[in-house]
Amino acid sequence: MRDVFQQELHEVQQRLVEIAELVAEAMRKGTTAFQTSDIALAEQVIEEDARIDELALTLDELSIQILARQQPVARDLRVVVSALRMSASLERMGDMAEHLAQLTRYRFPDKVIAKGLRSTFKEMGELDIKIAEKLIKMLKTQDMKFVDAIRDIDDQIDALHLSVFDKVLSEAWGGTSMDTVDATLASRYYERFSDHAISIARKVKYLSTGEWAPELSSEEA
Amino acid sequence: MSKRIEVKDLNVYYGKFKAVEDVSLTIEPRTVTAFIGPSGCGKSTFLRTLNRMHEVIPGARVEGEVMIDGKNLYDADVDPVLVRRQVGMVFQRPNPFPTMSIADNVLAGVKLNNNKMSKSDAEHLVEKSLKGANLWKEVKDRLNLPGSGLSGGQQQRLCIARAIAVSPEVILMDEPCSALDPISTLAIEDLIDELKAKYTIVIVTHNMQQASRVSDKTAFFNIAGTGEPGKLIEFDDTTTIFENPHVQATEDYISGRFG
Repeated sequence: MRDVFQQELHEVQQRLVEIAELVAEAMRKGTTAFQTSDIALAEQVIEEDARIDELALTLDELSIQILARQQPVARDLRVVVSALRMSASLERMGDMAEHLAQLTRYRFPDKVIAKGLRSTFKEMGELDIKIAEKLIKMLKTQDMKFVDAIRDIDDQIDALHLSVFDKVLSEAWGGTSMDTVDATLASRYYERFSDHAISIARKVKYLSTGEWAPELSSEEA
Repeated sequence: MSKRIEVKDLNVYYGKFKAVEDVSLTIEPRTVTAFIGPSGCGKSTFLRTLNRMHEVIPGARVEGEVMIDGKNLYDADVDPVLVRRQVGMVFQRPNPFPTMSIADNVLAGVKLNNNKMSKSDAEHLVEKSLKGANLWKEVKDRLNLPGSGLSGGQQQRLCIARAIAVSPEVILMDEPCSALDPISTLAIEDLIDELKAKYTIVIVTHNMQQASRVSDKTAFFNIAGTGEPGKLIEFDDTTTIFENPHVQATEDYISGRFG
């Protein structure tokens, strides 16, 4: 009986990694589609998000079943309750990639982002892919060094997000209203993606410390 | 009234065998404290030292101090009968006196201490104690029938009524629900929660969910092996013990991982 339980807990953690891998893939493809106006790739990202949603749902069902049948305590309890929260964050991260793909589809064949901001968005996309990759490693190893790495990347993304606002609000900004709305939304999607990574990092820290809302040291957004 | 219990460096022996080693802990008034641990770890033995029930076994003795509001129970001038009046006990199997009526069962302890009690005082005390044990409504029309005619859960509440009739400061419960069905168990757990307003309660339980539901503090006892004395491993807030225990042995025990 206890072996089954241990197997189930292991499976919870495996499935989180599996979902995180799909999320990273969605962001890789989503950001490529977004920056190259690749409509076929955008369609693919939108289609594949359903898979992430479904996996998050079945993971939640497994977690609820474990709570009901095994009444986990201590670390086992923390594994299950944190998985419930992490699956929600991962699911939202998938949605952010999907939103980028949707913006791409709306504006096709034009590019979503006006010229003056393209290098900023290129950098944001790269950082989001990087944060997703660190996230997979963190979920696989539960190693705190990835928590710090994720926090540092998030700080960089937040700074870029602010710089987008500065740009579209400045006198020199020559974009149309639609350019402004698109840039603001897209920047928000990139920024939220990394914020969810931060939420997951907090839950990984909770797993080892038992502190529900731990500080991730240095400053946060 | 309820009182603080302070245990200092307590060792408990059965003859030459040391059953419990070096326990120190403080139990605050009006709290529920649960003792958990594997069979043979000394938790029941330790519980019984809190009202000197331990020494009724030949060869059994205690070293160290058990202070109740600053007074050591084991001082030479302390009468063990008075200790047991202050510190009541409820056992694993309900043990009402089988031939006595329900009312006489409630009064048994009181009559032992004070035989001269007016009829109206006695009736009043029976009602008050049975109400305190959440049993009054179920038995008020058959107070003169034998206690053994009640269900197991009702018998256990009758024993609790008998314990609180003598106005104790502390109530010790040694696995009070392990012979009861889930509904009676729930009734006893609700009762423990109500009794906590007036009494200091210490409960030994093998039911981990019960410990996590009813207690404010949890003490985990363990033994290193057969023939070794039991020790207090971890004593902390119940939420800490069940969400984030500090000692690995505690975590292994409550999570069901052994060895």
